[in-house]
This record gives sequence, C-alpha cells and structure tokens, in this order.
Amino acid sequence: MIETIQLSKAFKERTVVEDVDLYLDKGESVGLLGPNGAGKSTTISMISSLLKPTSGDVKLDGKSVISDPGNIRKVLGVVPQEIALYQELTAYENLKFFGRIYRVPKGQLESRIQETLELVGLKDRQKDIIKTFSGGMKRRINIASALLHNPKILILDEPTVGIDPQSRNYILDMIRQLNESNGTTVLYTSHYMEEVEQLCNRVYIMDHGKVIASGSHSELLSILSNEDTMKVQLNQMNEDFIKAIQDIDVVRQVEETGDGIKIIAKKSANIISSLVKFADQQNIQILNFQMENPSLEDVFLHLTGRTLRD
Amino acid sequence: MLTFLIKDLLLFWRDRKEVVTVILLPLLLVVVLSVSMSGLFDEDQSENFDLSLGLVIEDDQDEAMEEFEASVTQSEQIPDDMKPELIRTIQEAPPVEMITEYLTSPELEHWLTVQTMSRSEVDQGIESGNLDAGLIIPENYTAQLLKSIHFDEENKTELSFIAEKTSFEVDMVHNVIQGFLEQMNLQYAISASGSEINASEIQRPEGATEMMADNSSFTISIDQYFTISMGALFVLFMASTVATRTGIEKREHTFNRIALTNTPAFHFLFGKTFATFILSWMQIVLIFIGSHAILGVFSGRSLTFWMGLIFMASIYSFAIAGLSSILTSISLRLKNPDTANGIFMAIIIFCGTIGGNFIPIYILPNWLQEIGEWTPNGLTLAVLMEWLQVEDLSILWMPALSLLSLTLIAFIVCLLLYPKRGEIS
Ligand SMILES: Nc1ncnc2c1ncn2[C@@H]1O[C@H](COP(=O)(O)OP(=O)(O)OP(=O)(O)O)[C@@H](O)[C@H]1O
Ligand SMILES: [Mg+2]
Repeated sequence: MIETIQLSKAFKERTVVEDVDLYLDKGESVGLLGPNGAGKSTTISMISSLLKPTSGDVKLDGKSVISDPGNIRKVLGVVPQEIALYQELTAYENLKFFGRIYRVPKGQLESRIQETLELVGLKDRQKDIIKTFSGGMKRRINIASALLHNPKILILDEPTVGIDPQSRNYILDMIRQLNESNGTTVLYTSHYMEEVEQLCNRVYIMDHGKVIASGSHSELLSILSNEDTMKVQLNQMNEDFIKAIQDIDVVRQVEETGDGIKIIAKKSANIISSLVKFADQQNIQILNFQMENPSLEDVFLHLTGRTLRD
Repeated sequence: MLTFLIKDLLLFWRDRKEVVTVILLPLLLVVVLSVSMSGLFDEDQSENFDLSLGLVIEDDQDEAMEEFEASVTQSEQIPDDMKPELIRTIQEAPPVEMITEYLTSPELEHWLTVQTMSRSEVDQGIESGNLDAGLIIPENYTAQLLKSIHFDEENKTELSFIAEKTSFEVDMVHNVIQGFLEQMNLQYAISASGSEINASEIQRPEGATEMMADNSSFTISIDQYFTISMGALFVLFMASTVATRTGIEKREHTFNRIALTNTPAFHFLFGKTFATFILSWMQIVLIFIGSHAILGVFSGRSLTFWMGLIFMASIYSFAIAGLSSILTSISLRLKNPDTANGIFMAIIIFCGTIGGNFIPIYILPNWLQEIGEWTPNGLTLAVLMEWLQVEDLSILWMPALSLLSLTLIAFIVCLLLYPKRGEIS
C-alpha cells in the first residue's frame, strides 16, 4: 500500500535519514523503533509530504507521491510527535477546524466529531479550552484530530510520550481497535519496546538514520536465537568484576542494571562457574540468577551496543 | 476559506487581553494626548501648518498710480466733480498693496509665511520644495486693472499662481487668494460704476481640484489630529498582531497540521488577510466613534463626512490587510519568531514615522515626506486631514485608488514570498 524506496534526507550536508526502505501492507500494524535522533520523525515527515526528500521516493499503491502529494494526503492521518492544537480553542473547535480543512463532508462532520471524541473518551470535555487539558488529554485530542477524515493509513509519532500509564494504555487500546476493527493501516513510532511489541505485527528498527533490522517479532528475536540472556542480582559490584565477566570469550555484552547485571552470552555456554568464581574473588554475593527470554530491547542492544533510551 | 477566517477571528476573540489593548489603548492615548496637548495650544487650537508662499512683484504700482491719476484728470468721460473722489479711493486702496497686506495680515500670519523674491527664486524654491507655492503679480498689473475698471478696457493681465503639485495646502492658499480677489473686485466695481466687472482672476495651477470655497474652516483641532493619527497608527500594529499569530501557529505545530491537508496556501493567507481587514476596520471605526463619543471630536459633522471617514477607513483596512499578508509570508519563512517580530516592528515604526503618525511630518526632510505619502498610513492621514477641511468626494478617489493598488501589490508580493513545501522554517 505504502512504500519508501531509498528514502534519504540531508540537512546541510548532514544526512539524518539514509536509504530507508519501508513498506506497509493494507491493514498491517507496523512499528518504527529507534532511539532519540534516529530519524524517525524525519522519515515520517517525508512520507506525509511535509518534507521533500533529498533523494529516494515514496509510493502509494505504486504511484510516486513526492511531486503530487494530493492523493496520499487524502488517505493519511498523521499524529505528530508534538501537540499540534490551537491552545486557545476548545476541543470541539479544534476538531471542527481540522475536520473542515480535511474536507469532511458538511453533513458528516458533526457526527464524526462526536464519534472521535467518544473514541478518545473526551466527549464530556469538548467545550473546554485545550490549554486547560492535562497532558494525556491533549495527546488524545491530538490523535482525534488525525482521525476525523477516517484515514486509511494512520501514522503516529510517539503518541504516548510523557503521559501516565493509564492514558497510555487507553491510547494503545484505541489504536489496536482502529487497526483490528476498522482495518486501518498503522505505522507506530516509539522508543518504547513494550508498546511496539504489544501493538505491531512487524517492526523496523532505525538507528543513525538507517534501518538496521526489520521483521516480525519472532524474526527479530531469532537474531538472538544463538544467545542467552541472564539477569544476575548482586549485593554490590565493581568495575573489575564487570571487566572480568566481559573478558569471558562467550560473553557478548554486559550491561549494568539497577541491582546487578545483565549478561548476553552464546547459547548454552556455561558461564555460571566463572561467574561464581569472579564474584568470590571480589567478595560479591550473588543474590539471584535468572535466564531471561530475550526482548526487542535485547535485539536493539545486540545490534547497536546501546539501549534504546541511552 | 471561511473556515480559516472563523478560526482567526475566534483566536483573536479568545485573547481578550489583546482585544482590550488593541481598542482601548489608542482611545486612551487620543484622550490623554488631546487633553494634555490642548493646554499647550490653548490660544491657537489650529494645527500648526506652515506654508510658504513666494511673492513676485513685477508691477510698478507707484508709476501706474501716477499714470492713472493723470488719465483720470484728463478724462472726458468722468464728470469733473467725481474725479477727486475717485483718485482718493484708489490712493487709499492701491491693489498690490492690498494683496500684500492681506497675505501678511495677522489672520493668515500664523500659517502662511510670505517672502518677496524674484521670479527665478520662486521657481527654484518650488522645485526644491522649500516653497509651497508662488504668486506672481505681473508687470503693468495695477495699470491694467485700474484701466479695466474705470475705462472699461479689457483686462489682459492676470495674477499667476504656481505650485509644483496640487495638494491640500496649495489649494488652501489658492482659495484664500481667490476669495480675497473676488472681494477686491467687488469693492472696486462698486466704487467705479456699480456694474460688475470681473477684473481680476488668478490662474490656477494645472490639474488643481475644484475647491469648495469655505475659507473659514481650515483649522484642524488637536483632538481631531490625534484621533486620526492614532487611528491610522494603531491599525498598523494590527497587521503585525495578526501576522505574529502565524509564528504561534508554527510554534504550536498547527501550521504543519494544516500543511498535511490538501488546503491551498491562499486559504490560509485569506483567513489571515480577511481577519486583519475586519479587525482593522473595527478598530479604526471604534477609535473614531469612541473619540467622538468621549471628546465630541467630530461634533456637528454631516452624514457625508462620516460616510467619507468610514469609506477611507475601509480602504485603509484593505491596505493593512495587504501588509499583514506580506508579514505572514515573512513569518513563515523565518525560523526565529523574535526576528520576525523585530522586522515587523521596524516596518511599522518606519511607516509610522515617515507617515507622520508619531511626529508632525514637516520636521522631516522633504524626500522622506514624499515617501511618507506612499505609506498607507501616511496617505490615509493626509487624506483624512483634508477630508476634515473639505467634504468633497473628489479628493478621496485618487488616494483610495492608490491604497487599493498598494493592496494589490502587497498580495502579489505575499504570494511570491509564500514558502513552498519544505521551505517553511
Ligand atoms: N529541520 C532540521 N534541520 C536540521 N536538522 C534536523 C532537522 N530536523 C531534524 N534534524 C536532525 O535530524 C536528526 C533526526 O531527527 P528526528 O526528529 O527525525 O529523530 P527522531 O528519531 O524522531 O528522534 P526522537 O525520538 O527524539 O523524536 C536529529 O539529529 C535532528 O537534529
Ligand atoms: Mg521524533
């Protein structure tokens, strides 16, 4: 339905998006993951016709939309990363304005506004001025504004940033509902792995402007299929200890967690004896030891050597 | 497009503080300035015009008088017993002297400076703008005039009135002289034979507008001046106020959301421009009506006067809307809203200054004054001052056309400046 081909963007010589190939099939829910500054928002801006790519193409049903964005604008709903609402207007007035400029037919506008307000659960607050809303409520109206024209494709750029878990779950449920019962194609951007794991069938992982991995959840996890993740809880730790563990040749990665370390090592390699030995030497007690199922977070760590929210 | 207009008006309405500032501040200023300044101008409430007229006397009055006396004495047409009486009348009121005396009389002194000079000096003075007008009393003027009155000879000489361009001030001087000459003619005619003789006329400068000869009303009171100049000035700020909101729409990302739809750019501009028009219009009309309600600025004026006032206010508001459309395009192009605001303020203060809204325009150098008449506010100020003197619709057409052309040019510039996709900073 939608695809990008070798999409690139440079701001004054600095390339922030490089040769990105994405595709979204009808009805799919796809995640775009990446740390701050990975180029996610820039990619979205190019897909949604806000920004002209330096090179590459964006196609909707096989037709390029770069020079003629009219068609994609009609079917696309974009929830920007920032709250893009008139702070001085009421929720209703905002929706009415955006509905009208999205050319929602006059006869349907009123019912569409009420439906979307219902969907985001803010029907009773529609007469209030946006300025007086909480962060989570603003986020929800921010999403509602992109839904009025019943878009076939919905692109959400970190729609849950900076809000409480309750609002977050509400929003995630809402998007899932749109995808599952309305058949809306979703591109969901985030740096929260859990959200993407919950919501999306397929994931692209971006870093430094490039797609570094992509595939379904299990495909991505199979990247780690020859590795084990262990969580070790310790009463204390020091650098010598971590260094010693890193130096074991089957160990790929050691990461400090709050109360211990996380070790990624070659599958089935027995490092427990070494672990106990080094702990003993440094006078460190092992309080707990646990094998973990790898997450996308681990995939990212594996690919980049960094965590998503570094 | 209406959608955008409603949005812009609604946003403005929500910002009550701004509404109050925009309307009450200028009104307050008009009242405060008028009250405090009227003390300074107590003795002379008239506006401080200073017009300079170069007077060229090529006529030799004394010789003409002697000649005339001789011809009267020798005349056979005039009965002998009337001769001394006639000579006495003429001696008491020699025409050239009467004209010069009148021009330097206390009545005119405070707004008209008359200097006697040579013809070439007058030409130079007018060209350089140091003189507003020149009056030339040609050779043999007295002789011809007297002959035509008393010996029924045809009068071939005329006073010439010259000016570089016609303006309100020039017309005023012309009118004053014309009025005086008519009176003088009448007097002479009565003293001569009772029959009416059109002895003296002055040549009008080319293209001069017909004036309604009401010489008694050419003073502008200080509160009228402030009402008009503050009105014109604060409306100027409206252009910037509305354009600044574009900066807010960029900052709050709503502009991006608009850019995501298939809305043509001019819908967005139309909203801004038409909102500016409506708001400017309401503002200036409220200032006029408010000042009138509080100070009675325009008391006793006719309906025609008010219609002209509101007509010009409407045309001026169009020009302001044009200005705001340019500012809107600029603000879309600039990354930093503070830079945009700085540029807006600079434009407004420049226009306000050379248009004469801040300071009386005549202290500015000539060339700047001329540019000043090309600013919408300067032009509006000048026209409305004239309109206060003379309720003649014909003085409104040209400025109205100029303002509309200015508006059109502004729209073209604004569309040229409007950023394309990806150029929005
Ligand atoms: N208009 C611009 N001019 C110059 N550089 C830009 C511009 N927009 C983005 N960048 C740069 O491009 C890079 C990618 O930014 P982008 O906003 O796409 O990242 P992101 O993945 O969305 O990050 P985040 O998770 O923080 O939203 C950043 O380094 C940013 O500084
Ligand atoms: Mg982003």
